[in-house]
Amino acid sequence: MANALGKRYQCAVCEATVLVTKPGEGTLTCHDQPMDLAQPKPLPSAD
Amino acid sequence: MNLAMILDMAADGLGGRVAVGSLDGGITYEQLRQLARATARELARRQASTLALAEPQGPVVPAALFGAAWAGASYAPLNYRLPATTLEAAIDRLPSPALVAPAGIGGTPAEHWLADLRAGAATDPSTEGYPEDPTQPAVLLLTSGTSAAPKTAVLDHNNLLAYIFNTGEFASAGEDEALLLSVPPFHIAGVAAVLSATWAGRRVVPLPVFSAEAWLEVAAAEHITHAFVVPTMLARIVAVLDAPGAGPAPALRSLAYGGARMPAPVLERALELFPETGFANAYGLTETSSTIAVLGPEDHRVAHASAEPGVRARLASVGQPVPGVEVRIVDGEIHVRGEQVGGRYLDRNGRVDEEGWLATGDRGRTDDDGYLFVEGRLDDMIIRGGENISPAEIEDTLIRHPSVATAAVLGLPDLEWGERVAAAVVPAPGHVIDVDALAQWVREAIGSLKTPSVIEVRDELPATPTGKVLKRQLRDELGDRAPS
Repeated sequence: MANALGKRYQCAVCEATVLVTKPGEGTLTCHDQPMDLAQPKPLPSAD
Repeated sequence: MNLAMILDMAADGLGGRVAVGSLDGGITYEQLRQLARATARELARRQASTLALAEPQGPVVPAALFGAAWAGASYAPLNYRLPATTLEAAIDRLPSPALVAPAGIGGTPAEHWLADLRAGAATDPSTEGYPEDPTQPAVLLLTSGTSAAPKTAVLDHNNLLAYIFNTGEFASAGEDEALLLSVPPFHIAGVAAVLSATWAGRRVVPLPVFSAEAWLEVAAAEHITHAFVVPTMLARIVAVLDAPGAGPAPALRSLAYGGARMPAPVLERALELFPETGFANAYGLTETSSTIAVLGPEDHRVAHASAEPGVRARLASVGQPVPGVEVRIVDGEIHVRGEQVGGRYLDRNGRVDEEGWLATGDRGRTDDDGYLFVEGRLDDMIIRGGENISPAEIEDTLIRHPSVATAAVLGLPDLEWGERVAAAVVPAPGHVIDVDALAQWVREAIGSLKTPSVIEVRDELPATPTGKVLKRQLRDELGDRAPS
């Protein structure tokens, strides 16, 4: 699984979140399992 | 983490997109990154720990914001309209500043600074990184302060990044999106707008000097999709669009506003003039890295269309707290907590308590569904004969009269009542205000208790750059002319 720039991944066990600041190959894991791609919660543009 | 990461990622992911300016002739994210790196090198060469910038707009502004972060220095945008002595005093309080300012103040003029950066970026292709020290001061802002002496608020990398990460998504803007930036760079909304837009990948089109006509012209010419305005700007835009022979309103997707209280009549008319636009009311403080609560587009349209008073009242609300922010009301005052809350100052003690709460100084309440209402400053409440009177309702009533463009209401000392209600009003273009008729208008609308006993007609009101009326100054001026 490739890790896309600017995406966030979350651990289903501990809810730790990581932000991908440099894209790359490989799989982000936490608590011995792949982290899930977090779905953005859109907010209205405020500025 | 470091604010520079926002630009670094945008240049990595969207390097060829225009970041600032017109589609032809603007600079890309990659070019902006080169300017930021050149800025960092110049700050290191001068051994400066602050980059003070007194400049209205242009690529030098985001280059300074991100370049200072890249150097591990602080960025201090200054109000270039301040008198030279006030500006010099503010600069003197900054740690080891490099100054970019118009000739006459003593720094490097912006055009020379930018030319040097461009030359530096062209000759030095190095790609050095930035320091990771997230509790370092990233941005220093002189807060306007409507009632007290100015102070320099400190926001660190963590504060500002918490706001950006919690409220926006990286590269979420379409390539066609463009933000019209009409708030000055020395205001927190101007700082936040550059950070948010870069994070989203949304082109920024600066409007250095605001006029409603220029705003409308640039909005059309640059195919603007997003804008942020302060209430006085929206009032002028609405007036121009309502004038005979005016063209249609620009087709904005998003129109956000904040910085001061929005008069209800202005907002209601704007919702009619921009029927397809999503409105957002953003409430925040300099000390909270800008927005802490938002009333979004759906809430605006539902409230505007509703016949139910409780729902309709929400047009005056600032909505719900943004993610990562907690709000509570303590004795009628809004308190806020969250990672984006700074609450520190360069020149005085911090205002955050040991549990992380910042007392805002704003009066507020929440309704049953959690909508937050900001009712004014704590010290703006008028107490007449034991009755608490909020100026906001009286101001809205005055502005609804066709002859009134804008109004400010405050309390003056009164021997009999403790305080009495006084108003300063500015006539709408082409109108003459009949003070007795206006008082009668207020009396019929909201009763004699709330009717000003003093109404002064003026050409303009003393205000901060974002349109907050300087009530202390106004109170002194009105009090001198109308002794109790």
